[in-house]
Amino acid sequence: MSDSKSVIVVEDLEVAYGERVVLESINFEVRAGEIFVILGGSGSGKTTLLRNLVGLMRPRSGRILIGGQDFTAMSSDERMEMRRKMGMCFQGSALLGSLSVADNVALPLREHTKLEESTIDIMTRIKLELVGLGGVEDYLPSELSGGMRKRAGVARAMAMDPEFIFYDEPSAGLDPIVAAGLDQLIRTMQSTFNLTSVVVTHEMESVKIIADRVCVLHKGRVVGIGSLDELERSEHPYVRQFFARLPDDLNEIDSAYARSLTAID
Amino acid sequence: MIDLLGRLGRWTREQIAAALQVSVLIVETIVWLVIAPIRGRGFRWRSAVEHVVEFGVRSLPIVGMICFLIGVIIALQASYTLDQFGANRYIADLVAVSALRELAPLMTAIIIAGRCGSAITAEIGTMKVNEELDALQVMGVNPVKYLVAPKFLAMVTAVPAVTAISMFIMIIGGWASAVFVVGVEPVVYVSQTVGSIVEKDLVTGLIKSVFFGVAICWVGVYRGFQVEGGAEGVGLKTTASVVTSIFLIIIVDLGFTVLFYYL
Repeated sequence: MSDSKSVIVVEDLEVAYGERVVLESINFEVRAGEIFVILGGSGSGKTTLLRNLVGLMRPRSGRILIGGQDFTAMSSDERMEMRRKMGMCFQGSALLGSLSVADNVALPLREHTKLEESTIDIMTRIKLELVGLGGVEDYLPSELSGGMRKRAGVARAMAMDPEFIFYDEPSAGLDPIVAAGLDQLIRTMQSTFNLTSVVVTHEMESVKIIADRVCVLHKGRVVGIGSLDELERSEHPYVRQFFARLPDDLNEIDSAYARSLTAID
Repeated sequence: MIDLLGRLGRWTREQIAAALQVSVLIVETIVWLVIAPIRGRGFRWRSAVEHVVEFGVRSLPIVGMICFLIGVIIALQASYTLDQFGANRYIADLVAVSALRELAPLMTAIIIAGRCGSAITAEIGTMKVNEELDALQVMGVNPVKYLVAPKFLAMVTAVPAVTAISMFIMIIGGWASAVFVVGVEPVVYVSQTVGSIVEKDLVTGLIKSVFFGVAICWVGVYRGFQVEGGAEGVGLKTTASVVTSIFLIIIVDLGFTVLFYYL
């Protein structure tokens, strides 16, 4: 894996909401065909980082090179073109509620290709079979379970046979069995199609199953990067705390301040 | 004083930002409606037709019923005064001119703003909350092309079409009450109506209705894109959409009435 070339390169990325800087000095590379996990606690900036990687936000400074091209400097049309090589699975699946599952998967094909409707229909069925959702083509997203919706989201992300796929919290809100099934699906997609995958998560169990390399974010900065084995040997206190699943030191909370927030004298 | 000036400054800045956002939206809509199809980048005709059915055909029953009743009311109110002068036949003139120049376009626009403008805001707002707009962008599908352009074409087609029908229905309403309640001769009413209508009445009413459609659609879309937060945000902006639409409809109406007064 270490010999593979880097297909996503993030250089000195800084992202801010107004004056509030949420990501700074972010540098990492994602290699072709690997599953790269962005790991971090709530509010660490991992979803913001993912939104920058797929072009839903523009950084304040820094560059994101995808396939050697500067994604941050592209015109709107060039970005739209680049996005055809990308697929994204959203945390809440983000399927269009007014369309059936099949129409959701077919949407990118209808918008970007001139394929016959019969061909699109076949391709849609293949993608849905691929994620284990054969037979639910005519259902509305609201008629599916959470796990099925996420699988349908993967099928839609795969519709245009992308080179890169991004997952935002794929196993969040799912029971362990369904979550394990999704982890397996992410692995299968990567190994079958040699997809370069970027996964944002805070679930350590998923990370152990899917990750080739991991980037740990804390308070908007990268505090560790490497394979799971390398990170388990990390000396960084936050990485050690995260991997050992230890709580913050409650003594650090100002008890007088905490009392002032309640009605306790 | 400084606080007041600060608030005024913030309000002005917000209004300028809103005007800029609406301008960008207008330009993008025109690009996806006119220029992009010429360059072969497609237009969602099927979606536009579906929206014409939703905005136009499905609005007809309620618009028709309200316009019929307003026709009845105007005729009865007119009779209250005209009867004293033995001039009940002129009820037809009053109903026809009111319907064509003012009431049918206005009532149609207000009902469609309440029924469809709010639906546009709720649809786009819910899509934004559920990350569906982000999903479209990541798939390389422009939300203005996919969502706004078909709705815009449908609205500027449906509102004048429904207005034309509602003009006719309002006149029928006037005819019904004038004939069956006031006692005007049916044939006299029809001949008075035909004699009182001039081409300009019809044209001004329909031109206004096109711009009412433009206002309803852009306000609905703009408010939808403004939604923040969850279901509460959708509710707030949907209400704001209807209020803003009706206010804009009245302003556009005033503008055209002044314009046509001098033409």
